[in-house]
Amino acid sequence: MGRRLHAGGRGDAILRAGQPRSLVGQLALLVAIALFVAQAINFTLLLRERRSVRLAQTAGPAAARLADAATDRGTDRGGEDGPRGRVRRVSGPPFPAHLPAEPDVAAAVRSLLREAGVRTAAVTTALRPIDPADPPWRRTRGPPPPDLDTEVVIAARLGDGTWLVTRAPWWGGEAGLVWRLVLQTLIIYAAVLAPLLWIARRVAAPLRDLTRAAERFAPAAGAAAPVPERGPPDVTALIAAFNGLRDRVTAMLDEKDRMLGAIGHDLRTPLAALRVRIESLEDEADRRRSAELIADMDRTLDDILSLARLGRPSEPATEVDLAALLDAVAEDFRDLGARVDCPERPRLAVRLRPTLMRRAVRNLVDNAVKYAGAAELTVAETAQEVRVLVSDRGPGIPPDRLLAVLEPFARLEPSRNRDTGGIGLGLALARAVARDAGGDLSLANRPGGGLVVTMTVPRR
Amino acid sequence: MAAAAGDAPHLLLVDDERSLREPLAAFLTREGFRVTQAPDAAVARARLGAYAIDLVVLDVMMPGEDGLSLCRDLGDSGVPVILLTARAEEQDRILGLEAGADDYVVKPFSPRELAARARTVLRRLRAGEARGRAPEAGTYGFAGWSLRTGDRVLVDPGGVSVPLSTGEYNLLLALACRPRQVLTRDQLLDLTQGREAQAFDRTIDNQVSRLRRKIEADPKNPELVKTVWGGGYTLAAEVTRS
Repeated sequence: MGRRLHAGGRGDAILRAGQPRSLVGQLALLVAIALFVAQAINFTLLLRERRSVRLAQTAGPAAARLADAATDRGTDRGGEDGPRGRVRRVSGPPFPAHLPAEPDVAAAVRSLLREAGVRTAAVTTALRPIDPADPPWRRTRGPPPPDLDTEVVIAARLGDGTWLVTRAPWWGGEAGLVWRLVLQTLIIYAAVLAPLLWIARRVAAPLRDLTRAAERFAPAAGAAAPVPERGPPDVTALIAAFNGLRDRVTAMLDEKDRMLGAIGHDLRTPLAALRVRIESLEDEADRRRSAELIADMDRTLDDILSLARLGRPSEPATEVDLAALLDAVAEDFRDLGARVDCPERPRLAVRLRPTLMRRAVRNLVDNAVKYAGAAELTVAETAQEVRVLVSDRGPGIPPDRLLAVLEPFARLEPSRNRDTGGIGLGLALARAVARDAGGDLSLANRPGGGLVVTMTVPRR
Repeated sequence: MAAAAGDAPHLLLVDDERSLREPLAAFLTREGFRVTQAPDAAVARARLGAYAIDLVVLDVMMPGEDGLSLCRDLGDSGVPVILLTARAEEQDRILGLEAGADDYVVKPFSPRELAARARTVLRRLRAGEARGRAPEAGTYGFAGWSLRTGDRVLVDPGGVSVPLSTGEYNLLLALACRPRQVLTRDQLLDLTQGREAQAFDRTIDNQVSRLRRKIEADPKNPELVKTVWGGGYTLAAEVTRS
């Protein structure tokens, strides 16, 4: 079961590749994105505000000057370069066409001029670097401030074909704004994310402990130490709930074990009494059959109890020579007069629970002997796993029932079971034991008749 | 088999389950034992004081004082004990042997087998052998190998368990209990037949060669289980018991 859960986790990981999976990572990412979006909106608003202020500051005075000039007040009084002579009148295009235009300014100036009653055929603009030697700058303002390096030239063509030209400082500085914003964002990140990460870690560490404890929860080996309750109250409450749940599960399993023990005892006692009583049967054959039946019932009872207890086996897994185990099972069957072949082979150390595995193999051989009168045990190994094959030449199993007979208490058609008393628990137990060892079990019909049961067990 | 009542060995059968105790007592009586019954440990103690009991057949799981506790007390008195255990866990077997039982049978057992074992225990006692007293309980170590009787496991020098068939196990146990003694085939047959008697129609030689394949470095030139010409077999190694 554990394996399947992990497989699911891997699938998720593939789906969400590239995203942080931990609580801390996701929180940090989310907050970082949210902060960034907020900052971006701020920045956009700020930029718009700045642009409209600049537009107003640039277009208003320029339009006023142009309007003055157009009504012949400015140019008449000051000449081309008079004290207020920041408006020139020229007859040709005022600047080369390749300079970048500033259409917003042009549109604003044009509409302001129209409001002032000045008719213009066109208004064009151009941005160009300030020439510090340029007279108006030198005269009226002194050297331009260091961050002012651009001026906008605004030209209005009047109805008579002449151009009125003026210019205004063009405050750029957007790059500086970006840097300020970046710095500001970083400061906010540091101020917000640091405590956030600290809190998240405080939550995540106990959660990680809890996850590990839940994954490792093996009710077999007595009571594990409870997970320490630390972290914020929500988390400690969760951990306490988990500890309680684990105690309850363990208690239930203990109870189940006690119950299974009682069932075993209570069923074996009458079975033992029966076994004694049949000794008084006169008929020898009758007595033998009854003894076999009782032995069968006892084995079935054993299988049931083993299957029910498999979740928390009392027997530890150890390094076992699987070859010797198969050989020992085969030999025990031969002692009882069954034909069981098991070719000798060198040592094959595998980690498993020997008593359970022995019972599993015994069940498989027992089935084969029951249905076919003989069995053959073979082993095939690869670097990763060992395959144990139990083959017979019996009637096999209908293909559509091959999976079903592995379920506990599955039956084949009644006629096959009646004389043997089997209730199909042997295969279920064998599969459960194989899975407990990290392997699996499968059935197949053999070409030429018979059944082969393949049990795989991983090496290490 | 019908010995005179006076010579018949006197068995005390202790089991709380009447449905088992009474027919078993009847069977054992037919088999030539004199049988006294007791439903619990307290009554058993009283009977032990009142009669000269030769052997106690004792159920492990009983209400009140359980069989193991009675068994421990009996160990001091010198009366041999055969335990009746419900298979349940390996643990029961280990505890039973540690409590000083001479032998045990697992429910549901064949009453014939119980009778045979009772005779074997009594015969060994009469033959003056040191009383069973769990002759085989514990772990036998030899040449780096260890044979654990509690869970019937043989562990090789590298720590890998080597499962044995019932026959191989019984043979190795018989040899390990008597290191450096020469045991004839008949002796070995006798020693190994006490358990799972039906499992034995194979020759001792066969079992020995199987055992050698599992524990000898070179089965052709055995260093541990040696053949003594004209005699039998011996375990040629120091055996430590723990």
